[in-house]
This record gives sequence, structure tokens and C-alpha cells, in this order.
Amino acid sequence: MIQKKSLQWIAWVLIMPVLVLRGFTTIYPIVKTVLNSFFDIRILSGVNEFAGLSNYINIFKDQKVITTLKFTAIFVVVSMLFHIVFGIGLALILNMKFKGRRFLRTIVLIPWAMPSVVIGMAGKWAFNNDYGLINDFIRRFFPDFQLSWLINTGSARAAVIALDLWKDLPFFAILVLSGIQFISGDIYEAAKVDGADWFQSFFRITLPLIMRNVLTLCIPFTLWRLTSFDLVYSMTSGGPGEDTSLIAYRITMEAFTNLNVGYAAALAVLLFLVMGIFSWVNMRFMSKFEN
Amino acid sequence: MEMSSNRKYQVYKCLATVGKWILFAMVAFVILFPVYWIFISSITAPGELFKTPIDYLPDHPTLDSYKFLIENVGLLAKVGNTVIIIGVTLFVGTIICVMGAYAFARFRSKGVNLAFGFIIATMLIPEVVTARPLYEFMQKVKLFDTYPGLIILYISAIVPFTVLILKNFVGEIPVSLEEAASIDGATFVQRLFLIVLPLMKPAIATVCIINFITCLNNFFTPLYYSNGIQVLSVAIVQLPLRDNMYGVPWDLVSAMGWIILLPIILFVAIFEKQIMDGIMAGGVKA
Repeated sequence: MIQKKSLQWIAWVLIMPVLVLRGFTTIYPIVKTVLNSFFDIRILSGVNEFAGLSNYINIFKDQKVITTLKFTAIFVVVSMLFHIVFGIGLALILNMKFKGRRFLRTIVLIPWAMPSVVIGMAGKWAFNNDYGLINDFIRRFFPDFQLSWLINTGSARAAVIALDLWKDLPFFAILVLSGIQFISGDIYEAAKVDGADWFQSFFRITLPLIMRNVLTLCIPFTLWRLTSFDLVYSMTSGGPGEDTSLIAYRITMEAFTNLNVGYAAALAVLLFLVMGIFSWVNMRFMSKFEN
Repeated sequence: MEMSSNRKYQVYKCLATVGKWILFAMVAFVILFPVYWIFISSITAPGELFKTPIDYLPDHPTLDSYKFLIENVGLLAKVGNTVIIIGVTLFVGTIICVMGAYAFARFRSKGVNLAFGFIIATMLIPEVVTARPLYEFMQKVKLFDTYPGLIILYISAIVPFTVLILKNFVGEIPVSLEEAASIDGATFVQRLFLIVLPLMKPAIATVCIINFITCLNNFFTPLYYSNGIQVLSVAIVQLPLRDNMYGVPWDLVSAMGWIILLPIILFVAIFEKQIMDGIMAGGVKA
């Protein structure tokens, strides 16, 4: 190595800016959030007193939060299932050898690069009953179709999930594709010689070989769904009622709109714990999977 | 016998090609049509947006909505804010991330490794968890609603990804190059600027392209850490209603949306390869 021990101070000088910046935006706020979660802090009524675990206990009595947690669970699970199934499907399409491949690989980057708020605002109008893109398209086949998507619970939830998929599924597919490209063509050649058809070589070769990659991808994608905020903020504001409210949205509303800071902090700690447990379980599962 | 199996193969191949183009058309339609719809909505006169069925080729294209954005909503100032914040973020952010990445790749000690692990681990911290205390802190130190304050937070958001990608890249540059220069009497600064940096150009380009998109997408930071300084992503959710449009000023939203989309589409079209490389290298946020 060219670096002598005495030169270590240079390393710390070089590292210091990024370290201080990240430390400043994470360590202090997290410690403060954990502390706040044990206090009853309501800025509007000027309350600020120690409250023990009451914020945490209130979470499970709060109907708004229960609805939120329910939809967050539905959102994460349904969206991830579609990500896995259709993400692999789209990756296979992107892997096809034909003239349009390069073009297709370029345009799938567009939804990923678009801000969620633009998609959310466009979605608000696209799912409008009278003038929206979605119903206009459906009415070309079923002229009498009427549905105010964002007013009914079920359809509003479906619309939010659909837009989430529109934005992120192509990105998931690109990452799956990078795994598929690592598989050597020789294996397929050998399978072909042995008389395997397309389905056999997909289920026996491709799928087992990319499964580890796909499961690894599911970790960050699930965490991103758990903390998703922009889409719901811009598209439904959690409505109708609280039916499309996600946990990150609920926390932000409590912290910045209702100014119920202690309670928001307790919710944030809960979210953080869920994320931590999820990651831990997943890593345990992955290491088992490898053995 | 030989002929017929050959023909069968030809038919099969033809069918496969047709199938591929059908799949292609479906995917392209689902992705591009909504984007096209946003575009034509932005050049349709507001009144005509209430037409059913939708007219996908507007009869009277107009730039009226854009004009309104410039004259009444202060579009140019918001574009200016966005450009300034992203520009400074990319410039300063890249410099400090290159420094950090170089140190993380070349200097190994327990402390340095721990610092690297910390920076990567902070990727997992959601902004909603840190938001409220950070908001109060920013107000206390008078950085709330200021350019420096926003830029600090924007840089912080891109640090983990950028450091990760650049560190891996520096790790692939042979140390022997620097050792040779060192023997020839090059100082540390000379090695960094004359040997390492020129080799890092492609990696720096990749992270800048992806960070540009990340910064343009950043919504939470400008929404909650500023009031007066509006960037495009926040402006689009706070547009005024011109007519009663069910709470969505779609004429203005589509125009503002297209202003955000245009640079993104151009970037994607021009830098497809770099973006793909960056995504494959890992750590890019969705």
C-alpha cells in the first residue's frame, strides 16, 4: 500500500465533509425523534410534557392510523407481488432479441426518471370520471362505463397502486434484466439441444438463476413502498377519508399539519422499527436461502 | 420432409417476430401514451379539456397555458430556483463525494471502514423519520427557506449513492499507477488531480446525470424546508385553479408537468447508457 499510517489524517480530512453532512441530517434528528416519541408535544395547544408510552398506546386506538396501516400493508404486498410477476415479465421482454430493443430499454427509463408528484397530479386527472384518460380509454370499448375512481375506496386504492406500478415496475424490470444478462447463453444452447422448449428453459433455468437476485431486489423496493409519500400526497391526499393514506403520509400530516409532534415521532419510530425488523428477517431468510 | 420442416420453422420464426412487436407495442403504448397525453393537454385550450371523448389531436393548439405560467405564476423564477439549487448541489456534492470516495477506497483502517458503513447505512433512513426535528433545527440555525439550507439537504440526499458508486470506481483504478507517480516524486495532490481524477471522468458523468434526475425528483425537501423558494416539483402541486376543474388545474398542471418532463426525456434519450450503467452499479433510488 502506498498509504502510510501517518497519512491517515489525510483520509479523515477527505471524509469529513460527507461524514459531517450525513451525520448532521441523520443522527441528531433520529435521536430527537426517539426522545420526542415519549413526550406529548402539541404545538397548537402549547402542550409539551413527558407522556411515557402513551403516544405508542394511542397508535392502536387511532382509527385513522389503523386504516392507514391497513392500506400500507395492502399497498406494499399487492404492489410487490405485481412487481415480481410483471417485473420478471417485462425483463424478459426487454431481453428479447429484436430491432426495437434499444428503443424499449430507453423508454422504460422515463417513468423512473419522472417525479412522483407529476405522475400523482396527472393521475388525479387521468382517473377523473368524465374527462380522464383512463375512462376515455375504457369507454372506447365499453361506451357506458362510469366510475369515479378516486371517490370509492376500492378503486382509489387500485388507482394508487396502478400508478405506483407504472412508475417503478420498469425500474424493477431493468434490475431483473441485469441479472438475466449474467446467465451464460451456453446453458440455453445446451437445454435446446436436449429438446427443452421455451417454458421449460424459463422455469428450469432462468427463474431459479434470477430468483436470488429478485428476492434481494425486493428488500429496497419494499422499504421504498413503506416510506412512499409523494404519490399519495399529490394524487389523493389520503382520500377518500383515510382510505389511501400511507404511513409516511400519516406521519408527515401529524408532524406538519396537525402539529402533533410527539405522536408523529412515535409513529415514525414504529415505522423505523418495522423497516428494521423487515430488513433483518429478510437478511436471515436470504442467508438461509443461500445454504 | 426437409422442405416442410424448414417452412414450419419459417412460420414459427415469423410468428415469434410478430409476437415480439406486439409486446413491444403494448409496453411502448402504456409508457408513452400518458406522456403524450400530458403534452397534448398542455397545448390544448383550457375549455377544450372538458371534451369527451378526449381529442388526442387538438384542433387549436395554443401555448396559452405556458404563457399564463410565465406571466401569473412566476415560472421563470421557479425554473431559476431549480437550476441554481441543482447546479450548486451537483458541483459541491460531486467534489466532496469524490474526496470521500477516494479516501474510502484508498485508506483502510477500522475508523474509515466504519465511517463508510455509516454513510451507506443512512441510505435506509426515511426522510419522514428525520423531518420534524430537522425542520426545527433548520429554523433555529436560520437555514430554513434559504438557498444554502436547501442545498445542504439536497447534497446530503445524494451523498450515499454517489460515494458508493465513486468508491467502487476508484477501487478499480490500479494503485500501481499512483505508486509509480509517487516514486517519480508526485505529491498527494498531484496524484489526485493528474492521475485519479482524469480516470474518474466517466464515473463522475454517470453520477451527475443520475443525481440531476434525483434532484429534480426531490419533493419532500423543498416542500417542508422552504416556503418562499419554490422549485418546480413543489410548484406543480400548488398551482392556482383557473376554472372549476374538480380541484385539478389540469391545463396548468400539464404545462408545468411537461416543463419538468422535457429535460428528463432529453436526458434519458441522450444518456441512456450512462443511466443504465449507474442503475446496474446499484444504489439508485426509485
